Amino acid sequence: MMTSCRKHASLFSGMALYAGATLVAPALLWPQPVLAGARPPARVMSLNLCTDQLAMALAAPGQLASISFLARDPTLSPLYRQAQNFPVNRGLAEEVFLAQPDLVVTGTYSLHNTTGLLRRLGFRVEEFSFIQTVETIPEEIRRMGKLLGHEAVAETLAASFEAELQQVAAHQCPYRPVALVYDQNGIALGRGTLADSVLSVAGFRNLAAEAGVEGMAPFPLELVVEKKPDLIITPSGYEDAPSLGDRVPHHAALQMLKDSRIGPFVPSSAWSCGGPAVIEAVKVLAELRDEIASCSEAQ
Amino acid sequence: MRPAVLNPSLAVLALVLFLSSMAVGPADLGLSESIRGLFAGGGEAAAIIMREIRLPRALLGLGIGFTLGIAGAVLQGFLRNPLAEPGIIGVSATAAFGAVAIFYTGLAGASLYSLPLGALMGALLAVIVLIALAARTNSTLTLILAGVALSSLSGALTSLVLNLSTNPFASYEIIFWLLGSLKDRSMEHVILAVPLMAAGWILIAISARAVDALSLGEEAAASLGIHMGRARLFVILGVALGVGAATAVAGTIGFVGLVVPHLIRPLTNRLPSRLLLPAGLGGAALLLAADVAARLVLPAGELNVGVLTALIGAPFFLWLVVRAGREVFT
Repeated sequence: MMTSCRKHASLFSGMALYAGATLVAPALLWPQPVLAGARPPARVMSLNLCTDQLAMALAAPGQLASISFLARDPTLSPLYRQAQNFPVNRGLAEEVFLAQPDLVVTGTYSLHNTTGLLRRLGFRVEEFSFIQTVETIPEEIRRMGKLLGHEAVAETLAASFEAELQQVAAHQCPYRPVALVYDQNGIALGRGTLADSVLSVAGFRNLAAEAGVEGMAPFPLELVVEKKPDLIITPSGYEDAPSLGDRVPHHAALQMLKDSRIGPFVPSSAWSCGGPAVIEAVKVLAELRDEIASCSEAQ
Repeated sequence: MRPAVLNPSLAVLALVLFLSSMAVGPADLGLSESIRGLFAGGGEAAAIIMREIRLPRALLGLGIGFTLGIAGAVLQGFLRNPLAEPGIIGVSATAAFGAVAIFYTGLAGASLYSLPLGALMGALLAVIVLIALAARTNSTLTLILAGVALSSLSGALTSLVLNLSTNPFASYEIIFWLLGSLKDRSMEHVILAVPLMAAGWILIAISARAVDALSLGEEAAASLGIHMGRARLFVILGVALGVGAATAVAGTIGFVGLVVPHLIRPLTNRLPSRLLLPAGLGGAALLLAADVAARLVLPAGELNVGVLTALIGAPFFLWLVVRAGREVFT
């Protein structure tokens, strides 16, 4: 799994920011050195796709100096439309130095060097863990709210997220259909990923996690056919920039699985980052779960 | 060895390896279960795995191996160069660049048909350049060096196009295009590539007699009534069609066309035309074996098959160079 992170980072430098959004490593939630009564930072820079989502949802107009360029990518960023309204950065220390923000928010993955350098230069840097599950999202929202000085907005957002999650959880039933998130190149999202926790909350078993996949890893096509999951979630793909990897989840062998529902039911951006938008993915999947196996029938 | 013995034995070898290829995969299918799946059909998992995943893979291994073997044999005969091979002289790499240039820029939509189209154009360009070059000089070395230049340039351009794609997953596919793989192919790829490869085989077979005559020298060939212009055209088109179609669906797989003709030539009467069929069958056997090994060596991740053919072929290439010594490089 870590090998795949490194590949991401070296082949396409921007992917480092994205990889931080989805991949898994030992959890370290930083302490929160927020001073009571301190004035909210006037200019904030976000260097990571995931902090982008939280910052865009919570910042006051004009407060967000720039966000990462990945925030504008529709396949990665749920708030890609909103992202058009902000200047973008490429996560470089130089850009931060030129912009002189009061606060930098970023992820804990792969930008360690940048973070260390920025701290040495005297910038205030707040890191968000890239271990994300549905359950950790409300806390992340509250933390970002506190950092930006908008606790009340954050509390409303976090509370409504928790309430909607409660509602979905109340509709759980004992029968849990099997699902698989089958991404470009036949990569499956396994244990420890945001997708795994979304599937679980929505009432599905994750085939990849049960087969022992940790994080993101290749999942052989033959095994998908053999295990016949009830639901296969395929990536939405890049319309104007094709790749061969896009075709693997649409292989003829999968089209022949008559009892499986296959399609881009949830946009790929839903798995990339834990933010308020994840609740939409949870709701869509919970509805699908009801269609596949309604609770009343199961009882 | 007489052709009546050599060809059937190589065909049996290729068949055995074809069946082994059908038996290898991550799904744990028993022998009877897989045979039933292959022939009985239906919506059972075993049937889908055998017919839609393993059969296309084995068919492509067979067809692409045959193409690379026969292309290597005809190029070595036609160019009178023992080191000629689609990979080494840059035809495969240029074909890969052609496919990449058309597919990833989205010029033809996301249609798979743009792959062979681009690959054929790339392969054709490379073969024309190389044959024009070979007509001007008799040096073995010049052709190989031109091939090195073509390969490096095409490889660099392939990487460039893939890195420039706005699809972040495209850069992963540099490995596929430079090292080749038969992973996760479907019947769609078989339908796309096999007819074009077969057309290439036919053109190469038609030019076989001319290649024989050519081994006596161009004047002698002309005096035998061989139309050299037509023979040249058929070899160019045959190699471009075959290697282009093969590369379009499997990426660059090197060295098969080099190793196989050399291994088999001592078993024939050394006439180029007699080498074509056994070289094709031998190429099929070698690629199928390499593809089986690629799945067994690294069952979880799967190795690129081009890595294995290079591991066998590159030392062999070196050995040929050392053995040939000065006499070849004049």
